[in-house]
Amino acid sequence: MDNNDFDYKSVWITIKQTFPILEGSSTIPEDDFEAVPYEAINLIKMLNLTEQIQGLVINKIEERLRKDVVPEFWSYFKRTDNQNAGFQQFYHAVKYLFYNFLKLDLIVNKLILLRETNDYKKPVYNQTCLHEALKLIVKAVLLSQLPINYQRMISNFYETALKMQDPEEENPNGQCIICLQEQYICSCINMFQETNKKLSKMALLEPLVGQTLTNLIYNYIQSHIQKICKDSFDTSHLEALEKWLQSVVISWLKTIYFNDMMSTSEFFFNEFDKKLKNYLYNTYTKIRIDQLFNIIIEYPDSVPALEDLKLCLPKTDLKLHLTKTLQKAMETRLLHPGVSTSDVLTAYVAAIRSLRILDPSGLLLETNTQPIHQYLRSREDTIRCVVSSLTEEGPNDLAEELVRGEAVQVDENTLVDEGMEDWETWTPDPVDGGSSKSSGLPRTSDIISMLVNVYGSKELFVNEYRTLLADRLLSQYSCDTEKEIRYLELLKLRFGDSQLHYCEVMLKDIADSKRINQHIKQELNHSEDDIPMSAMIVSAQFWPPFKDEKLELHRKLVKQMENYTSAFETLKGSRTLCWKNHLGIVDLEIELADRTLNLSVSPVHATILMHFQDHKTWSLEALSKVMHVPSTVLRRKLSFWQSHGIIIESEPDVFYLQEEQESNENNLQDDVIVEDYESESAMASAQDQREEELQTFWSYILGMLMNLDTLPLERIHQMLKMFAFQGPTIECNLQELKVFLDRKIT
Amino acid sequence: MAQNFNPFVEQLPENVKQAESSKKVSNDNHAVTKRLHKELMTLMMSEDKSISAFPEGDNLFKWVGTIMGPKDTVYENLKFKLSLQFPNSYPYTAPVVKFITPCFHPNVDTSGNICLDILKEKWSALYDVRTILLSIQALLGEPNTSSPLNTTAADKWKKKDEYKKLLLESYKEA
Repeated sequence: MDNNDFDYKSVWITIKQTFPILEGSSTIPEDDFEAVPYEAINLIKMLNLTEQIQGLVINKIEERLRKDVVPEFWSYFKRTDNQNAGFQQFYHAVKYLFYNFLKLDLIVNKLILLRETNDYKKPVYNQTCLHEALKLIVKAVLLSQLPINYQRMISNFYETALKMQDPEEENPNGQCIICLQEQYICSCINMFQETNKKLSKMALLEPLVGQTLTNLIYNYIQSHIQKICKDSFDTSHLEALEKWLQSVVISWLKTIYFNDMMSTSEFFFNEFDKKLKNYLYNTYTKIRIDQLFNIIIEYPDSVPALEDLKLCLPKTDLKLHLTKTLQKAMETRLLHPGVSTSDVLTAYVAAIRSLRILDPSGLLLETNTQPIHQYLRSREDTIRCVVSSLTEEGPNDLAEELVRGEAVQVDENTLVDEGMEDWETWTPDPVDGGSSKSSGLPRTSDIISMLVNVYGSKELFVNEYRTLLADRLLSQYSCDTEKEIRYLELLKLRFGDSQLHYCEVMLKDIADSKRINQHIKQELNHSEDDIPMSAMIVSAQFWPPFKDEKLELHRKLVKQMENYTSAFETLKGSRTLCWKNHLGIVDLEIELADRTLNLSVSPVHATILMHFQDHKTWSLEALSKVMHVPSTVLRRKLSFWQSHGIIIESEPDVFYLQEEQESNENNLQDDVIVEDYESESAMASAQDQREEELQTFWSYILGMLMNLDTLPLERIHQMLKMFAFQGPTIECNLQELKVFLDRKIT
Repeated sequence: MAQNFNPFVEQLPENVKQAESSKKVSNDNHAVTKRLHKELMTLMMSEDKSISAFPEGDNLFKWVGTIMGPKDTVYENLKFKLSLQFPNSYPYTAPVVKFITPCFHPNVDTSGNICLDILKEKWSALYDVRTILLSIQALLGEPNTSSPLNTTAADKWKKKDEYKKLLLESYKEA
């Protein structure tokens, strides 16, 4: 074949007719679909120019896309003002792109024909199929020119579409929210479907929309969960949420990806499904964890929420987050001086119960309640609060717990044994619960034992109970011992007989006192002016030490008490009475010139008045001498009578009895501060008692060190335990001992 | 010396008693422990700081005692440690008391053994750790030179200066 006599010019024209894009015109030419360009193909085959022509055509296609189509497509995105317009614009943009894509595809069809006839198989961009190559080119060019705000546009489009589908967001007027037309003439859904279909045909759905769509869905899920979880802990949402995810979110996604099914297999959907479910659980758990403090406070109304959380925790990796969040919430909301101890206790009990539901192994409970534990230890009135709420009447968590009583012995040894028995079912602690130092110890979630363990020793607890009981018994002279016995029995179930033996004796003392009183009253011959009195006889050995105060009673009473004592001595043989003059109650009927008063007062107050009965005027000093009461204390006690207008301080330190009340004195009385004498406890405070015990230990420690020279702390503690801790209530832990000894150094 | 026999241990023929004694003792141990605990308590609570004693380790039957030399004697300001070993039959038998701190004294030998009648033939169950320590403390100031264990000390007793020199030479605080 002779190349020279070939008309290259006419050949080039023929080729250009077949591929008008080579012309260089600015628009993509409308092709003649019918004509099959055999002539050009044959020519190319003859000249062996297939590769060159294909290269030229593809180059031109790329150029068109780069210069015209894609900039035009993206320019649709620049003019977004309102959402609904955005919907339309995106639709039109895609429509425009698809139109041009189709035209280019026709050119590609011809190229394919060319390749087939010439048996040319060299791949373009690694694609043997030129249709795929075209898609690749479109995608590359499109993404190379991404404007910044494209995501907003796309998410706008899909968000609107999602709203349109959401059953909860339906427009009340039956209008489409996009075009505001009546639903039956609205074509928005069709526009939406069409857009998806076109994108999918261009293989652009996933690359262009995928990421935005995922974000959108995540946000949508989150806001939905937030909406339904807000302040409602009394229903379980987990199941409903899963259903919602399937019926609303996933099905909507399916409509988008419906046309894309060939490229995205079943497998892809399963993956996506799992991802969304995981996200759902994660989000729900996080929201619940953020609300956990409230959930705990609202226990038991919030049990459904807790059950949800319990299901979620193993599926997510959020236990550490839970610990951190909860501890922070407790710190800011519970553990500060503004919260009363009883409220802290209530929250503590609720926390124990709630966390018990969340994590039966007790690890979460242990790590999360540690701060409360520590905090309660720093509050002075904790034990008092626990004990009083244990024994209080009325609906009360702790009293209920006590009555419910699983009879768990608060004894560490028995617990260890129990733990060993079922070693076969033992499972290690979960590792993701956060740090826990003391996992060697057996954990208990029995509320009362946890509360008792706040102080580390049941002795202290029992001691406090004893003091409270003593106070109660002494303050109510007609005591309801039956009720007390009931509680005592309940407590005995938990703390053992030996611990509460003392309390038992105390209750028995009360009953005995009544009997003895009656008996002695019969024995003694009453003279007319005797003051009727009855004694509370308590065994010094068993009652907690009383607060010591000196008081000399009026001689009339002293005489009577002596008689009582001797009667008691004859009744009880080798025993005698040691009177606590400052304790007790005196019922007074005060007859003055112009009025009568009925009052129940303390013995000090009564004695003061009795002395004024003898002499109308007393100096503070003289009275203090007679009564053996320090003058400062006496002045305080006198103020009680001053407030009643019975005694008046006529000149400094001299008081006289005022028989008749002058009306203008009324104002003066208001200035006198009335002492709140009822609230004082008759018992020596727990702290005082502790000091005394420590003093005993100190003597032992001195003896030890004197004879054995130097000893390490542990050894001292051990020795004390062996030789000094004899009484039923005496104990001292290592930490306390260290603090005590440190104090002795200074 | 009726009080030196445990009234609860029946008087048995010698050979039978031998065989049973260990059993009896263990039954009785509780009473001894209780008594020793009580003695310890009295001792710890007493105001007298010149004598003191405490169990040495976990064993309640082995104590370490401390006495200060009595005032106005050559022993003043010296501190002496003693060991007290209580038999299981305590208080019906005397404890074995020895000086740990070397003590230059007519009635104390070089290995710390003490010659004191109440620890030997004149022991009574009415004595306790406190009285033993007080007696030993008193013995320091008033030795019995007629039957000495340490003849040098007995000889020098009258010559205070020489005696004190020898005493301080041998004294070595534990």
